[in-house]
Amino acid sequence: MIISKKVEFSASHVCRSPELSDADNFRVYGAAANPLGHGHNYVVEVAIAGEPDPVTGMILDLKRLKEILEAKVLDVYDHRLLNREVEPFDRIVPTVENIAIDIWNRLAARIDDTGRARLHSVRVHETNELFAEYRGE
Amino acid sequence: MTVSLSRKYTFCASHRLHSSALSDDENRAIYGKCNNPNGHGHNYEVELTVRGVVDAVTGRVVALDVLDRLAEERILAPLRYRNLNEEIDAFQTAVPTTENLAFEIDRGLRSVWMGVFGDAGPMLERVRIWETERNICEIAVIG
Repeated sequence: MIISKKVEFSASHVCRSPELSDADNFRVYGAAANPLGHGHNYVVEVAIAGEPDPVTGMILDLKRLKEILEAKVLDVYDHRLLNREVEPFDRIVPTVENIAIDIWNRLAARIDDTGRARLHSVRVHETNELFAEYRGE
Repeated sequence: MTVSLSRKYTFCASHRLHSSALSDDENRAIYGKCNNPNGHGHNYEVELTVRGVVDAVTGRVVALDVLDRLAEERILAPLRYRNLNEEIDAFQTAVPTTENLAFEIDRGLRSVWMGVFGDAGPMLERVRIWETERNICEIAVIG
């Protein structure tokens, strides 16, 4: 069984690769290549897989999940400039794809530690028109 | 690392759900208000999900400008502000239900996909269409 929880954070970023020319950066990332940055209200959907505990009826106590998401995602990402303040985006471009992978990497082991549950997928919505999903593959 | 990236587009079009293989009574019974002889329209939303490996330089699964251009050429330009029954070839024979529309869009994209992205490029994992908030159809590659 899978259960999903949604959290939201706001952050700014610059989508620009030092390995590409200025023209190529604007071609690849469009307006998101603006070197001065811009921001989004990101919505993160975290799906947890497991069997419900026969006593509590829960895969994972949602209070516990909320605490993990606050510590591992919101405290790290909320109201930050991702390129400067969140590793690994000092080295790689903070596209929505890379953000989904990074959030997975921050969460997977912590969810495993809870016992019954494992991380199934991380979906990150950058806008209403664009989202990425990573399943750890 | 393989990621699925989804991008949403919108277009407006009109249609009428009516099958020439059915009687007028049967058409009314099956399609209800959508069988109105004068037709009606929707703000359609199309979501394309593309699955692939994240490029080490760009951090992208797919070049969004290329995907946007493909969507414009294959979906939006042909369907935008059209009467699907009267102006789109496929719906001269097939009924323009959300299912058949999804099938046509999926087929239109797949016919050129390899030519645009190549063998090693990202795959089209899913096409999803909203006819209304409550009426959604998807075609997904399984496995």
